[in-house]
Amino acid sequence: MSFLYAAGLAVALLVVAPFIAHLLERRRADERDFPPTRLVPLSEPVARRRRRVDDRILYAVRTAAVILLAFLGATPFVRCSSLAIGRHGGASVALAIVLDDSLSMLAQSGNGTRWDKAKKAAYDLIADAREGDAVGIVLAGSQPRIALASTTDLAAARGVVESLVASHRATDLDGALELARSLVHGLPQADHRVVLLSDLADGRVDGPPLGESADVALWIPLSDLTEPARNCAILRADRQRERATVRVACSPPGESKRRAVAIYADDKRVGETKLPDEAPGTDVGVQLHDATGELMARLVGADAILADDTAPVLATSGELAVAIVADPVSSKLATGGPPPVEQALSALELDMRVRPLPLLPDRPEDLAPFAGIVIEDPPGFTPEARRSLGAWLERGGVALLALGPHAPLAPLGASFEPLVAGSVGWGPSGAQGLDERAAAVFGAAAPGLYDLRPRGRATVDLPLLGSAAKVVARWKDDAPWLIERPVGRGFVFVITLPTSAETSDLPLRPAFLTLLEMFTEAARGRSGAHRTTVGEAWAFQGAKSLEVVGPDKAHLRVTDDGTSKLVVPDKIGTYDIKLDGDKLIRLAAPAEREVDLRPRPVNPQTRAASLGDIRAKLDVSPHVAALLLALFVVELGIRLWVRSAR
Amino acid sequence: MPSPLRSIDWGSIAPLRIRARVVADGVYAGAHRSLRRGPGVEFGGHREYVPGDDLRWLDRRALLRHDKLIVREFETETDRGLRLIVDASASMGFRSHAAPAAKFAFAALIAGALARLAIASGDPVGLEWLGGAGVRPLPARAGREAFERIIGALESADAGGDLGLDAGSVERAFGSIARKAKRGTIIVLVSDLLDLPNETLDRFAALASGGRVLVALQVLDPEETKFPFEGTVRLRALEGGSVIETDADTTRTRYLERLAAIGNEWARKLTDHRGQFLRAETTDEPAEVLRTAVFAIGGRLTRRGGAP
Repeated sequence: MSFLYAAGLAVALLVVAPFIAHLLERRRADERDFPPTRLVPLSEPVARRRRRVDDRILYAVRTAAVILLAFLGATPFVRCSSLAIGRHGGASVALAIVLDDSLSMLAQSGNGTRWDKAKKAAYDLIADAREGDAVGIVLAGSQPRIALASTTDLAAARGVVESLVASHRATDLDGALELARSLVHGLPQADHRVVLLSDLADGRVDGPPLGESADVALWIPLSDLTEPARNCAILRADRQRERATVRVACSPPGESKRRAVAIYADDKRVGETKLPDEAPGTDVGVQLHDATGELMARLVGADAILADDTAPVLATSGELAVAIVADPVSSKLATGGPPPVEQALSALELDMRVRPLPLLPDRPEDLAPFAGIVIEDPPGFTPEARRSLGAWLERGGVALLALGPHAPLAPLGASFEPLVAGSVGWGPSGAQGLDERAAAVFGAAAPGLYDLRPRGRATVDLPLLGSAAKVVARWKDDAPWLIERPVGRGFVFVITLPTSAETSDLPLRPAFLTLLEMFTEAARGRSGAHRTTVGEAWAFQGAKSLEVVGPDKAHLRVTDDGTSKLVVPDKIGTYDIKLDGDKLIRLAAPAEREVDLRPRPVNPQTRAASLGDIRAKLDVSPHVAALLLALFVVELGIRLWVRSAR
Repeated sequence: MPSPLRSIDWGSIAPLRIRARVVADGVYAGAHRSLRRGPGVEFGGHREYVPGDDLRWLDRRALLRHDKLIVREFETETDRGLRLIVDASASMGFRSHAAPAAKFAFAALIAGALARLAIASGDPVGLEWLGGAGVRPLPARAGREAFERIIGALESADAGGDLGLDAGSVERAFGSIARKAKRGTIIVLVSDLLDLPNETLDRFAALASGGRVLVALQVLDPEETKFPFEGTVRLRALEGGSVIETDADTTRTRYLERLAAIGNEWARKLTDHRGQFLRAETTDEPAEVLRTAVFAIGGRLTRRGGAP
């Protein structure tokens, strides 16, 4: 603010002048000597009130007039800054605006949030665009997405920016920049430019500087968005009986000092624990007292981002129930004890309840308590069992079917529907071990499968399983070993090897545990409350109807890819889901890396003046003058009205 | 709070001495005869005898001729003193833009003219004051010098004083007259009748005893009689120091009613005591006001009384 601007605004101090004049006018208002004053009655209150109201209206008008007069005096010196695109020789520009709509952009910056500043900058850039320029908009919140494909329709671009709202997603700058470059690639404009409007806080402080090796020029104009900020966030909160575990991350980690996390049941505080001195990503235990109903975890104290200071507490007391249907004779171990799959599930300590079943239940309601079922080497399913299993799968059950030597022994009328269609055979394995592509599924545990030594293997009629079936691991001779297949809203894993130690050494391989973890995760994901990261899509396979209401009570947009209905939660909080008439609850939590507000390094070239600059423009004098004139007219009107009323 | 002293705004009434003479000369009052019936030298007529009449004036010839008891009446010239009571309190110093002079100036003009008329007839004139500053009460005197003294006293007075706080002022003026004024004395009170103590009217009416003639002349400013203000006004009394803010448009009627009530009360009370109440505005023609006053006084003079 220049001296002249300040001096111009100082005229606004004259705003007290109408008030003083009003007081003076009131003080000497027609006061005069009048000997018979004692004969004069006091006036009617109505008349006095009317006069007071009239005076106040006039006073307000005059005060506004003085303020506007001050601005009128100061506006020749007012310069509102706005972003402008740098042009080489005045040529048209193909511009891709990357707007970061991640959680970190909700940090306060001056009078608004970083998001507000970035959005205004996007407005400025579009306003500065000329006819012939192309503008595209990419959102950098994970997953990056195109809000507007490149277009020369600048009005449409303005409309898109207008409709954008901030989300609580994580940041994916690399993906967003890649998407932006693809938007401008091949456009006929002479100059291509990507503008990144972000705080650069993508959790990759040590990552490569942005704009290092880009074929399209990258401009990062808003350096003030990267100013340091302090923030703590609740990443998740879980309850187990009378204790809650809250994971808290702070940026910088020392921000956790002098802060605490409290658990509330409605508005009643049922527990509180001070945070450790440093919390880069720390689990904090909170003892609960008399906690009933839905619980909320809240951070005590304020920071840059309020949205991540509260999270619902997920009750994990309801254990995951998994049923194991295995022949106790064929699947027993020589060393005794339960079948290997039951022992392995117990060894995983995945907070679940494992229940062995001697037979597959014939009634769907008997399967309802289970989120998953492991079926070990069955000799097919009876029609009643098939019906029961099919209904259970339709409602989201997850089954792991281990085919073994009993498969070809299916009695008449028995089959493996609805898990496997067609006939299932058993014979010697043509290959020892699995193909190395299994590493994609089993990761570090995969090598243990490369030299698997089975005594035989099952064969399935793969084409009959349908296009939805996917072979995720194969024998070395390309025969399927692990097949995944959605059935209704449920999911089926099929392995062509039993889990019995008598048939193969699979139970002895680490990948066996990985397989069971995959199965357990799938079962947990389809049952009860479920928590994912904001921005991570929820796919509901086979869903016929889906309705999702977010934490702000707004209905989320549901997309359908043919086999699944997809919903992307972009806000932290609890989502109420109505899936084919069933009510579910899911939670969306912030990504831990998004809490780190430190900016990623950038190539100094991305701030070059040739890419664009911040211009001073917008003289508001004419608007202020017109407003001032209108106020004078209003005052005249009020005076005439008052006079006629009297 | 005592009212501040006010120098009299004489306006177009100055100089008082000349104006009073002019006004008085413009009024034909004749050499008003201060007549009293009873023993005298000039026959004044007959009337029937009523018990109590002095038998010396029984007309025996008429008794013989008409067989009725008839008494003879005579007229005799006598000096009938004029006692002026002039209000010089602070409120009398008021003058509005529309008025030619302050109320006191107008009152002094009427009082001076009356004094001129009375002295021209050979009657003694005295002067008493209500309130005022630098005022000098004058005992009743006749002759040319008496007029000069009265004019001098009127001219040297300033308006001031709050009669509401100085009840003794009324007692001093009225008490002096009650003690000294002879039978038949004409007592003229010239005042705005505002802010007077409550007992003033009763005390003034009491002066009517002993055949004295009372006349109260209320002098008001046109602003006081019309209340011409508009909108919200703040009014400050000259006596009592009260200030009120009021809406003139809505209170005008009630004010005029209250003002009229004062005049009505004085008129009713004085009528009961054979007195007269007159009202004048400072914009009125002084000669007309004086003529009205003389007429009111003369009315008392022409009424014939009974036997002495």
